[in-house]
Amino acid sequence: MTTERTVQPMPPGLRVPANRISRRAISYWTARAALGGAFVVLVEAAIAVAGGFSAAMGYLIACTFAAVAAHAVIMPRWRYRVHRWEVTDQALYTRSGWFSVHWQIAPISRIQTIDSHRSVGERIFGLANVTATTASAAGPVRIHGLDRELADMLLDQLAVATGQSAGDAT
Amino acid sequence: MTGLAAGLGDAGAEWLRLSPRSLIVRPLTDLSRLLPLVAALLILHSRIGSYVTWSVLAAVAAVVPGMLHWITTRYKITDERVYLRHGVFNQKVLSVARDRIRTVDVTAHLLYRLLGVCHVTIGTGRNDLRSGHLDLDGMTRTDAESLRLMLLPATAGTAARPAAGGQGAAAASSAGAEYARLRLSWLRFAPLTMTGLVVLGVLFGFVLQLSNATDINLAKTGPVRYLVREFASFSIVERVGVSAPLAMAGYVLIALIGYTAVYWNFRVAGYGADTVRVTRGLLSLRVTAISLSRLRGIEISEPLLLRAAGGAKCIAITTGLRVGKGAEHEGSVLLPPAPRQVAHRVASELLGVPGELARGPLRRHGQAALRRRYIRALTAACLLIAAIEAAAWIRHGPAWVRAGSLLLIPAAVLIAADRYRNLGHRLAGGWLVTMTGSFTRRRSIVGTDAIIGWRIRQTWFQRRLGLMTLTATTAAGHQRYSLRDVPVDVGLAVAAAATSDLIKPFELQPDAKPATKA
Repeated sequence: MTTERTVQPMPPGLRVPANRISRRAISYWTARAALGGAFVVLVEAAIAVAGGFSAAMGYLIACTFAAVAAHAVIMPRWRYRVHRWEVTDQALYTRSGWFSVHWQIAPISRIQTIDSHRSVGERIFGLANVTATTASAAGPVRIHGLDRELADMLLDQLAVATGQSAGDAT
Repeated sequence: MTGLAAGLGDAGAEWLRLSPRSLIVRPLTDLSRLLPLVAALLILHSRIGSYVTWSVLAAVAAVVPGMLHWITTRYKITDERVYLRHGVFNQKVLSVARDRIRTVDVTAHLLYRLLGVCHVTIGTGRNDLRSGHLDLDGMTRTDAESLRLMLLPATAGTAARPAAGGQGAAAASSAGAEYARLRLSWLRFAPLTMTGLVVLGVLFGFVLQLSNATDINLAKTGPVRYLVREFASFSIVERVGVSAPLAMAGYVLIALIGYTAVYWNFRVAGYGADTVRVTRGLLSLRVTAISLSRLRGIEISEPLLLRAAGGAKCIAITTGLRVGKGAEHEGSVLLPPAPRQVAHRVASELLGVPGELARGPLRRHGQAALRRRYIRALTAACLLIAAIEAAAWIRHGPAWVRAGSLLLIPAAVLIAADRYRNLGHRLAGGWLVTMTGSFTRRRSIVGTDAIIGWRIRQTWFQRRLGLMTLTATTAAGHQRYSLRDVPVDVGLAVAAAATSDLIKPFELQPDAKPATKA
């Protein structure tokens, strides 16, 4: 609970969704952030080399490297503490984000489609995400970084649950 | 698409074609779109002399798609569904259940009107149809009228819905009533909206396209050169003195023409118990039928200039009609720029809600939200000033630019104050009212039964201030309606009161320990 307190100095009066995501998500996010950061640094280095190496450019590259490295170390761990999800009989309930935190509640009865998507990176780390869309274009609920087996199970469970209700309030 | 096997077997309905008259209309409309090109061809003809080949090609290009469209397009209406079949090589069948039909929009441009045909757009609550529409381009007017009557019947037998009981009753009592009709005095609001600018942009684009296509440099033609020469002989005061009033007068004139063309004969009237019809247009007519029990709310929108002049416009929040940019071209306009009192009255009468909700005071979001408005506006202003100063310093820009950029700070203060004044919400009688914005102030009244989910967003800064942005997601209108920077406890109370069963299971009980790892 102490970690919870540091992450959420002022929780918005909602209880925390029950389930954490897979720990492997930390590695996945770290890898992704590191790759993206490495690309930015490399581009800067290429520009520096092409335009004759100057001291200002060196500073810029050093600062970028520090920022990118800090992001790759801090963001995934922070994010892992925030990301939570829960499925009840009535609703799908998630918390995600890191610097800004998003809470989403979508009633099971309003869910129209459920799908699971695996990018190349997620497949390498054995992860999957589950997306539930509602009739609102602003309403898709995503659960990132789930265990692959768990995602498949969740997919089936939600598919059964959504099949049982009628009407979509459009 | 769906129900192909089951639906096509339905008895008692035949596949119908569009009117053969659309064979004339479509090529002509296609041609009119190619008008600059055609003009270019006519002018080029004198130079190249291959006029015949080109004109034959152009005629074929215009006629063939129209013919193919007419031959391949069929539609069918059964008791449950509407089917549309089209496509040359890949035949597609779109179908939509009739109880999912929210709006029927009938438009007829000038050419269409001459030939007595129109374009019917059936708005549905479906996301999987691209743009959520079924389009029937080229029906005769009588066919379109009977189709509209069939799909949105005057008696609300098929559209009855338990949740819409209150709205349905309100509508029934005022069946056939007229909610609003265009008054000539409303024309004073015409120059205060962007419509004039849009018309100007279209005209400018057309001229540019024409001059490109014909390879004529307009700046070198006689009249323009004469004007430029005359203008150059004036002093700078005279130039401003002459051109500013001329530009203003031209803009006002174009805005008036635009407003008149789009909103001439504007009328909102009840039609049967459950349908409201919006009629408008001078040259191209538009009739939009909106099912009242599917009307999820109304947005009262006040762009800055319009607000200053005491005007407002109303936009329907319903599934199947677009809102936001380009709303004027869609059928969702419930009231053109008009006096604010009229907007309030139309909104409250159409929704059957007390006028208080449309115009009354809202609950403010408190000191923290006010502070955040100022911090955000001033931060943005400071960043802009820094950028301007840096650019001026590097480029050795004039001193007045650097001094003038400081004016952004009082502007930011004014905007922040106005944004806070306009920020608010209210929940009453099953309606959620939200208001935000400064450059365009929007007050949205949304039925709580249309809310199909909640989103809460807290940035790190918001967490420090104890604020959150609460967003109700819905299938209608903008798809999301937000209470920006609302105090956490107030926001949660609103969400819980609006959809009690949805939020309650997740509220933090003081005594219950929150669950941790599963």
